[in-house]
Amino acid sequence: MAGFGAAPAGNHNPNKSFEVIQPPSDSVSSLSFSPRTNHLVATSWDNQVRCWELTRNGASVTSVPKASMSHDQPVLCSAWKDDGTTVFSGGCDKQAKMWSLMSGGQPVTVAMHDAPIKEIAWIPEMNVLVTGSWDKTLKYWDTRQSNPVHTQQLPERCYALTVRHPLMVVGTADRNLVVFNLQNPQAEFKRITSPLKYQTRCVAAFPDQQGFLVGSIEGRVGVHHLDDSQISKNFTFKCHRDNNDIYSVNSLNFHPVYHTFATAGSDGAFNFWDKDSKQRLKAMSRCSQPIPCSAFNNDGTIYAYSVCYDWSKGAENHNPATAKTYIFLHSPQEAEVKAKPRVGTSNRK
Amino acid sequence: MGKKKKRAASKVWCYYCDREFDDEKILVQHQKAKHFKCHACHKKLSTASGMAIHVLQVHKEAVTKVPNAKPGRESTEIEIYGMQGIPPDVLAAHYGEEDEEAPPKVAKVEPRSAQLAANIVPGALGVRYPPQPTLGTVPPVYNPALSVPPGGWAMPPRAQPWFPPYPAVSVTPPMPAPLPPMQQPLFPVQAAVPPTSSATFPSSLQITPPGLPSSSIAQNSPADLKSLVAHASVGPTIADGSVVNSHSYASGPNTGGPSIGPPPVITNKAPATQPATNEVYLVWDDEAMSMEERRMSLPKYQVHDETSQMNSIDAAIDRRISESRLAGRMAF
Repeated sequence: MAGFGAAPAGNHNPNKSFEVIQPPSDSVSSLSFSPRTNHLVATSWDNQVRCWELTRNGASVTSVPKASMSHDQPVLCSAWKDDGTTVFSGGCDKQAKMWSLMSGGQPVTVAMHDAPIKEIAWIPEMNVLVTGSWDKTLKYWDTRQSNPVHTQQLPERCYALTVRHPLMVVGTADRNLVVFNLQNPQAEFKRITSPLKYQTRCVAAFPDQQGFLVGSIEGRVGVHHLDDSQISKNFTFKCHRDNNDIYSVNSLNFHPVYHTFATAGSDGAFNFWDKDSKQRLKAMSRCSQPIPCSAFNNDGTIYAYSVCYDWSKGAENHNPATAKTYIFLHSPQEAEVKAKPRVGTSNRK
Repeated sequence: MGKKKKRAASKVWCYYCDREFDDEKILVQHQKAKHFKCHACHKKLSTASGMAIHVLQVHKEAVTKVPNAKPGRESTEIEIYGMQGIPPDVLAAHYGEEDEEAPPKVAKVEPRSAQLAANIVPGALGVRYPPQPTLGTVPPVYNPALSVPPGGWAMPPRAQPWFPPYPAVSVTPPMPAPLPPMQQPLFPVQAAVPPTSSATFPSSLQITPPGLPSSSIAQNSPADLKSLVAHASVGPTIADGSVVNSHSYASGPNTGGPSIGPPPVITNKAPATQPATNEVYLVWDDEAMSMEERRMSLPKYQVHDETSQMNSIDAAIDRRISESRLAGRMAF
């Protein structure tokens, strides 16, 4: 990490990923791919929501900036509608906006909270938008109405959200994890304390909805199954650590095809893992700045990640004059993301 | 099948308790489970002295005797691993005795050790969570994860709800599987649960839509860290004791191994305290707020706060005012 007056030491792109052009001018808070096409949206602390169109040219990927819109304050989260036409974004202005890319119209405010909106998701099966905020509520919105369809109280501020219908998991402050069955969204299905001993940073639901991953600030990921008969498959593992330094796990993403997953952390590294064989498939090189967010595109051929300061070392380590923000695109090789059976000795204890 | 008298030096045996085993691998597993296991957190170490050091450093207790050892064999100073390290006089004494017994008693020795082996093997291979688990071995698989929670207070409640479900482990239903087979293994849990559950969540135990299982109340006690701790402990913590971690995660071409983390000492401490024995520290250690919240508290991100709350006219006026203030405030 950079000290004052020094450019970030080390290589900001050691993995030789493709760089997205015209990145935001301040840190990226979220990355989302369209479910239909290779359009990437990034939200940033510079108040902007930007959209690029990505194109594969043989082995490389190029980006073309397409559009952008702004909020009044930093934007923290984004989500695409399932038809790939509309982007939702929410942030510190306590609003969520709906931005129709197709029509090119002005974004419309579709949600409001009493505190910044940290997480947002579109639930196609219910045709609602769900927003999670630091005001300790989750709200469901029919975008045509100004009042929420339902307001769900959370035990604490919303820090993380993942949806795979009908499974929805909300991670809040104080290590609460609230599980919802979206067929009965007004009731908490289950509320558990995180298996990790430290603050929840991110959650990701299994593609088969049997459970979820949870990542914490303590360089650890928990694999949690919901059904008691699968309790024995629960485990946690350490990652994103470097000798004496323990970095936060900032992002968890499942590969849409292979159902392996990637973790990205404040150490600037991203790794690919297979939870079923309990293996790390690939460790990528560490970038010189943290990776606050990442995403797979709809078919898993592109993994986008942002390299920029995530505030993990506080304000002291941020020099706005020299801070750089990057968004990189990595084309995962099959060996990196395809599940592998375990080789070698059995798991002796 | 006739066994030769001096096959593999007439079988390996454990220095601490004189039990015999078919091969050294099993002997080592026995030693780890019986003699090198921490009594507080059930972590299995590799030697007796290692275990003593662990208990001293982590649980702040002095261990003077090797657990389950015969008198005279209890010293933690003597370094035994498998058959290695056994003092020659003890070694000779053991075989001397065996020689005397051998001719008339070889028939007895074999069935006895075979029986022992039969006992040991399933347990040793318990890592695959056999349906009929040897509770002596399976808990150790889970227990290391219990080094995660502070202290041993999580132990007693853990013991109750989690043993019964072991048989359930062998049931691996895909979610759409019908509920009845799942409910069977759940019954023991449900029985054990009511005493421990705070029952604040009247979750439906019975009919749940496919995709989400009938819930276990055991996991519903929101404030009950214990059950959660136990829950977490049920699956082997991959990274616990970097030993386990490095075995479990077979990494591909590896650039520096972030998965081989610092020793488990960290996980024993309560959150927000730094482990005293190691220099490790969390890069972001503020439990009370997230990175984004801290960042938001920076004035530069709050400049427009006033405007977003007001209607457009006031917003315009205020914007003009705050912009002029900003101009004066620009310090960085």
